[in-house]
Amino acid sequence: MTRHAARWLLAACLLPLAQAQADITLKLVEVLTSPERTETLKGLVSAFEAQNPGTHVEITSLAWSSAFEKFATMVSAGDSPDVVEMPDRWLSLYVKNGNLESLEPYLAQWSETKGLNDRALEMARAVDRTAYLLPYGLYLRALFYNKILFKQAGIAAPPKTLDEFRADAKKISAIPGKSGYCLRGGPGGLNAWIMFGAAMAGNNVFFSPDGSSTLSGADWIKGTAWMVDLYKEGLAPRDSVNWGFNETVAGFYSGACAMVDQDTDALIAVAERMQPDQYGVAPMPKGPGGKAFPTVGYVGWSIFKSGAHKDLSWKLIKVLNDPAGNLIWIKRVGALPVYKASEKSPIYSSDQLKGWFAELADPDEVPTIMPTNLPGFAYFADSLVVKTGQQALLGQISPEVMNRQWAAYLTKAKLKQVGGK
Amino acid sequence: MNWRRAQLAAEPYCYTLPAVLLICAVILVPLFIGLTYAFHDVRLLDPTSGDFVGLDHFRELRDDPAFWNALRNTLTWTIASVALQFSLGLILALLLNRVFPGRALVQLLVFLPWAIPSFLSGLNWAWLFNPVVGPLPFWLHALNILSAPDNLLSDPRHALWGPIAANVWWGIPFFAITLLAALQSIPADIYEAAAIDGAGPWVRFRSITLPYLAPTMAITILLRTVWIANFADLIVIMTKGGPADSTQILASYIFTQAFQRLDFGYASAIATVLLALLLAYALALLALRSVFVRQR
Repeated sequence: MTRHAARWLLAACLLPLAQAQADITLKLVEVLTSPERTETLKGLVSAFEAQNPGTHVEITSLAWSSAFEKFATMVSAGDSPDVVEMPDRWLSLYVKNGNLESLEPYLAQWSETKGLNDRALEMARAVDRTAYLLPYGLYLRALFYNKILFKQAGIAAPPKTLDEFRADAKKISAIPGKSGYCLRGGPGGLNAWIMFGAAMAGNNVFFSPDGSSTLSGADWIKGTAWMVDLYKEGLAPRDSVNWGFNETVAGFYSGACAMVDQDTDALIAVAERMQPDQYGVAPMPKGPGGKAFPTVGYVGWSIFKSGAHKDLSWKLIKVLNDPAGNLIWIKRVGALPVYKASEKSPIYSSDQLKGWFAELADPDEVPTIMPTNLPGFAYFADSLVVKTGQQALLGQISPEVMNRQWAAYLTKAKLKQVGGK
Repeated sequence: MNWRRAQLAAEPYCYTLPAVLLICAVILVPLFIGLTYAFHDVRLLDPTSGDFVGLDHFRELRDDPAFWNALRNTLTWTIASVALQFSLGLILALLLNRVFPGRALVQLLVFLPWAIPSFLSGLNWAWLFNPVVGPLPFWLHALNILSAPDNLLSDPRHALWGPIAANVWWGIPFFAITLLAALQSIPADIYEAAAIDGAGPWVRFRSITLPYLAPTMAITILLRTVWIANFADLIVIMTKGGPADSTQILASYIFTQAFQRLDFGYASAIATVLLALLLAYALALLALRSVFVRQR
């Protein structure tokens, strides 16, 4: 009510200034909010408003921790935005619900489309082979390691294989009060389970051709059991069974644990508190099959079908995500580039970032997209895996039972997805 | 004449009508709609949902170990929190009811936790239990309560006691305030008369203070129990229901089902069970209170 009143009041005040044509308001929702990020977004948006007189963009900023439920309720209540920042794991939910506009016609006409790298286009088309989002950045896991602790434990280089990883973690954990691995047992822990599981299994195939999940297979269980043993043997802090993003990053920069798998965005917090020569970033260690499967995620911009000004919405996305706008944006959010040309930008020249580009260049480091396009993936990753993963780490259930529960859920979701088409 | 009588009889209802309509519109109607969800397949952002499923959700509930675990945790959480808040609050109220220098200041300090947002106190307590920065693990270890200075919140056997401690700290002032107000309304001459008749402190407490406090106690305990059973803030902030569901209570389980699984139907079924349990509890306590008051 009051917001409405305030808007009327504002409108009344601006009336004398308004131009002859009716003003258009576009609604833009960001979901991975931080104050600095919102400022950058506002800067990009005001450039758009300057190019399109009479158009206003109303930004709604949702905090990531509650964004999923808030945005889902907003959309269910009919309060849909025109443009939304769309994370990979929500994409299929909104596509299947018929909310998103295909971007293919726009991409076909846009001159910058050919500048996008293959990975970006593949991700844009993750659901139904149709581009429902334009990715702005990639988030790829790599291994952060603490050079001081490595030196103290007498280790010369970051681990290249899982065996070395384990041996290094053991040596570091022998230092009183230190642990080898900043394990993430709480929210967001799925990436590590998948990476170690796939490295042990030697592949990143989540489903067999008949649609049943492969996660209950013996080789996948070997990987999850490997991680459970790591925790049980005390090579990760006991506390870490509850850790999420902030705790693992804090555990790493405070020196409580020496290795953490993280995306580029963790660099922002780590670089603030550690000197560049105190830590390094290396490709994820490889499994017995000689391959590693670092998980890759992506976020982009999507247009809602319900919006009345779709062409204008696309114009807004173009401003946000053309090579120039995108470079400003990914520098702020700490993501890997979606444009081939941006890879050579000076913002990617630091020693730490070379770790990621080394990972991308190595054919045995296979960037792995988790099955985020399944309906019900959000619940799987944020609830089921957290709960059963903690049960396994604490020894309440065996890794085998855990993997079987995951496979049962994923198989059901897959069949639903295939049947629903 | 008859018409006039009918008018008179209807008059009070006319006065209450606006309030009744308002209550219906903002409480009963949403409540009823929420209850109907329990019998439907209601999933957010799923175009195929919406069918009537009868008692399916309740059958699923019966076979859902996570539900029973959450129910057990709800009982532990509620009983321990209310019992500790109440007994410590009562002791505080009795202490503050005496006159001593600096009483106003002490009263103010005692009521301070109540003024702190639950979100903030949850965060503070989570840090207090964290062995990297918090002192509590070391104190508990020194007192031989913990075998090693680890984080209580990551131990599935005892994790629930972390949020309970925070809740007790946060909720004591509520009981202290209300019981102190009730204590101050007891006429002092009754105590004097009892003292002259030779009643000692314990007899005076049992025969005067307790009966006078009983109505306030019953109603505050009732309110707090319902409140705490539904109060998931501290748990969500401190442990998110983990590790491994060991601190999941029904209220937080409902939240998980509704907003992570987007299954409003199943969440409503759990909420219906919780509602029925709390209603039964409230009726039992009110019946008990009327028996107690009549005895007096």
